[in-house]
Amino acid sequence: MSHIRVLSPVGVASSGAVSVPRLPPSLAGRTVGFIDNRKANFDLLADEIGAILSAEHGVKAVIRRRKANAATPAAPEILAGLAKDCDVVFAGSAD
Amino acid sequence: MFQGLAQSELRALGISGLPLVTIEHPLGGERSEGITRRARQAVDQLTSLLTTATGGTGHAELARTNLRPPAVQAGFTAPATNNPAATDLITVDDTPEAVLAAFCERQWCDGLPIVPPTEARVRAMLDGAPGERSLGVMPPLWRVATLEKLAVNAVMAGCEPAAFPLIVAAVEAMLEPSFNLYGVQATTHPVAPLLIVHGPIASELGVHSGSGCFGPGFRANATIGRAIRLILLNVGGAWPGRHDMATQGSPAKFSYCIAERVDASPWGALHEDNVVTVFGGEPPHNVNDHVSTTAGGILATVADTAVSLGSNVGWYFSQSQLLIVLGPEHAKTIAGDGLSRGDVQRFVFEHARLPLRTLKLGGMWGIHDWPHWMHAVTDDEALLPQVPSPEDVMVIVAGGPGKHSSVVPNCTFSRAVSRPIRPISP
Repeated sequence: MSHIRVLSPVGVASSGAVSVPRLPPSLAGRTVGFIDNRKANFDLLADEIGAILSAEHGVKAVIRRRKANAATPAAPEILAGLAKDCDVVFAGSAD
Repeated sequence: MFQGLAQSELRALGISGLPLVTIEHPLGGERSEGITRRARQAVDQLTSLLTTATGGTGHAELARTNLRPPAVQAGFTAPATNNPAATDLITVDDTPEAVLAAFCERQWCDGLPIVPPTEARVRAMLDGAPGERSLGVMPPLWRVATLEKLAVNAVMAGCEPAAFPLIVAAVEAMLEPSFNLYGVQATTHPVAPLLIVHGPIASELGVHSGSGCFGPGFRANATIGRAIRLILLNVGGAWPGRHDMATQGSPAKFSYCIAERVDASPWGALHEDNVVTVFGGEPPHNVNDHVSTTAGGILATVADTAVSLGSNVGWYFSQSQLLIVLGPEHAKTIAGDGLSRGDVQRFVFEHARLPLRTLKLGGMWGIHDWPHWMHAVTDDEALLPQVPSPEDVMVIVAGGPGKHSSVVPNCTFSRAVSRPIRPISP
């Protein structure tokens, strides 16, 4: 049996490394943000999570910001605002 | 269901330590008790993460961490790979069966037989173009789209080297931000990029515009469209069910490429020059009208085909576009009544509408994204448009004899993009 050598069609992985900081040990007195991906019921889910976190974890404030639409990334000004005002941010994904 | 995509994307971008909280799928369509249950699931997981989190450099830095995907950077030279498998040559038994088995096993193809991408064949496909040149990074796994990798996939698809500049132009077009390739690749919608080839190059390459142009039977259409799909699978990493989350997929995801039928178009070409348009579309929706003898009759059937509660078009208004592919006989009848291409666009814009009472029945009602003036409408009988303007209705002619045309709705905030097809500079 003869053999043949062929090239892989897989794209070249882009390089880069980002280490994400750990969560704070407690959310008491913190501000929690949500990036609403505009999928059905995410707004209600975020409101309920925020209410529980406030009642049970002492969260100081909850901020929810909506993307322009579900299919494109959040605008830079939304990210910058949440980064400035929040200690922890939930980014909604999927549906 | 998107958890796997999220984790793969984090790995691809080199992001480590980002906590994930997962809840039951689906969230959409759930009633209040289901939402409450999912909220509790999220909080319980977060509580666990807070007490067990390790590593990282402190939460205060989270705000300054840039988690956005790398921007598309055309023209730069690809960095050295950190994925050895991506550049490996593999050795397989030299039989069609063994080659197909090897590529299927690695999830490197679409399930159909391929032409083995040997170094000699890939060199011939490149025809002197620099293989290391990058067109940018391709979502959803943000891998670098080098000319060499495009050429490997084009060889596999069965393309002739003469088609390579067209494939490169199509990839450049798909990487334009307005095409929103990330959305096209990852969505649950069955969207696929339709390539429309304009200009003399279409006939030079043999891209078919006549009977059965959407397939099957024509090598250029089949292989160029297939090359694009293989590139989306292998370079972008959109493997079905893992990173391409299309609920059902579509036959158009195998290959989707046609040319304009200029010789049968009463209005000439959409583009005279050698250009490729990429349109993120659903498969063609048939327009069957064997009866109408007037422009008004045929276009009424076209307009009716273009409106559906099940389409993305209309719900997300600012992104909506419609592609109308008129069969030559329908086009001739329409033009015979004196209508221009612009008139066809205007007619479809004015008549492809549903009353508000119908729109309230289902589809995306409740999460639709409309301009303020449409939200202000309260008359249930009011007819609301599908697209923002007549210019968002594209009209071309393609196909052979018969009383059929087609409508291709777009999706996923993907706007049509056209790029010139030029020889690739060395």
